[in-house]
Amino acid sequence: MSSKIDRWHEIQQFLFHEAQLLDERRWGDWLDLFLETAEYWVPYEWGQQSATDHVSLFYEDVTLLRLRIDRLKNELSPLEWPPSRTNHHISNVTVEDDTGDTLTAKAYVIFVDYRRDEQRWFSTRVTWKLQAGADSFRIAAKRVDLLNCDQESGHLRFAMPI
Amino acid sequence: MSERLHNLVERGRVSRRLYTDPAVFEEEQKRIFGRVWLWLGHESQLKQPGDFFTTRMGRHRVIVARHDDGEIYAFHNRCTHRGAEVCPKRSGNTEHFECPYHAWTYRTDGSLKTVPLRKGYEDDFDGRAKSLALEPIARLSAYQGFIFGSHAADGDDLETYLGPDVRAAFDNFVDRSPDGTVDMAGGTTIQRYRGNWKLQIENSIDLLHPLILHHSAVDAADRVDHGGKEPSIEWDTVKANGLSFSEWDQLQVAALPRGHCWMGGFLTKSIDEDAGKAAIDEDGWRALQAQYHDIMVEHYGADRAAEILGFNRHNTIVYPNLFVNSRLAQIRILHPTAADNTEQHGYIFRRGGAPKRMFEASVRMVTATNSPSSTVTADDHEVFERIQEALTNGSGEWLDWSRGIDQESSIDGATSGVGTNEVAMRNQHKAWADYMAGS
Repeated sequence: MSSKIDRWHEIQQFLFHEAQLLDERRWGDWLDLFLETAEYWVPYEWGQQSATDHVSLFYEDVTLLRLRIDRLKNELSPLEWPPSRTNHHISNVTVEDDTGDTLTAKAYVIFVDYRRDEQRWFSTRVTWKLQAGADSFRIAAKRVDLLNCDQESGHLRFAMPI
Repeated sequence: MSERLHNLVERGRVSRRLYTDPAVFEEEQKRIFGRVWLWLGHESQLKQPGDFFTTRMGRHRVIVARHDDGEIYAFHNRCTHRGAEVCPKRSGNTEHFECPYHAWTYRTDGSLKTVPLRKGYEDDFDGRAKSLALEPIARLSAYQGFIFGSHAADGDDLETYLGPDVRAAFDNFVDRSPDGTVDMAGGTTIQRYRGNWKLQIENSIDLLHPLILHHSAVDAADRVDHGGKEPSIEWDTVKANGLSFSEWDQLQVAALPRGHCWMGGFLTKSIDEDAGKAAIDEDGWRALQAQYHDIMVEHYGADRAAEILGFNRHNTIVYPNLFVNSRLAQIRILHPTAADNTEQHGYIFRRGGAPKRMFEASVRMVTATNSPSSTVTADDHEVFERIQEALTNGSGEWLDWSRGIDQESSIDGATSGVGTNEVAMRNQHKAWADYMAGS
């Protein structure tokens, strides 16, 4: 039992670390957590099955994520100037299909961003496919399901990965 | 107030009230959106009797359905009893629409079918039932399977309203399918911004802004190391905004009657012409394009296929609110909900007879460009909001639209200019003034 709790703790610490990198805007370090073949996906539809037969909010490989992050470095995009501040609040962490080498972690994440006099709250369910390394994990896939992903009058404009 | 509103447009400039004044917005709803043909959807959404979808006509929520007589009907999504929404779904198939409040039911042609406890009404209620049908959209018409509705009982028919240049875009839209059919599929993108609807319709024909506003994305795209692999379709799409000013100017912009316009294609330049410089993967986008090209030649013959694929336009813009892109099989529409609030809805189409992965490519391209989180268009919408916030600053009344005003030319019924000429926006403002003057 205790080793199971240790494992769960270890995974949770990794998720906290990923959130910290996002919230501290350490984008390069954040991207280093991903395998080169990784996919980052934010569906547009609740329970969406595929990113190639239905549009998504984000469906990006590491190259596109790098482009997204890189474009904000020179402060030319009005979308991230002034830069937003974010907090990721992680709870309900569960682990599935842990083979020792690979596993699926799930969590409920409240994502809050603030910028230009507006604070927005998003409730999300996040799924990570992780690959276990010697002393940490790498992300093989990250999927973020927004509770309001299909909100018709929504304002789901995000500059950065969420 | 309406009789003077057209004076808010002058030669090469317009009043900021076009964007900010709620009273102007209300007049637009009556005089423009209340009169023109507004796009509703596509016949591929209504294949069987009983098929329906709900959509918008500006601020109005409407139902479009195929009835069991095979005809298409459109009506307001509002129960004639107490005004509740009768259909909460986006699409489906049904025998009738039933109001959740008191169970009045309506057939798929909008007519009243049943009311509960009929005996509670007077004897001649059945005679009155006709007037209790769901309120129909005044006129309905379709061109190449694209369904339009108008709130005005009279006016130009749809073909006249669209005109030959816009009809050519819809023709090309279906011609680009090897079997001549298109199916709406893949979901809807919704981008909302707190700004006036004209900001988007002007922006979509504004070829001066991409290199400036989208510089951060283009610049980042330039720094991507593809590692010897073929660039993705998403990368191509972002990179396409990076033409130089002189390259943008090589594109033609054509301003048409009634405020419509089109712009020359630029993806051709970035995707097709630059393809030779990029690596080509066997399962990549460029190989797929080549495969599609061969299928087109097979179906149409080399000459006709070349003619269809050579239709080199990017957006054709149907004033006041529709963007048609035949090459990308995309349609976008604006739904203004207030002077300072607009929603843009984007739709994708699957081409019949084309390789399956063409559709996958379209979906990925739309995700990259029309998602609210796009690395390109999100900056447009951010700027629109900053315009809306800043427009009421100070006492300055006028916005300048004079670029290229002395460099316009007339060809084939269109007023034309180089890519960065603001001729198409002036043409939109002229249409606006004409509608507001009631002509």
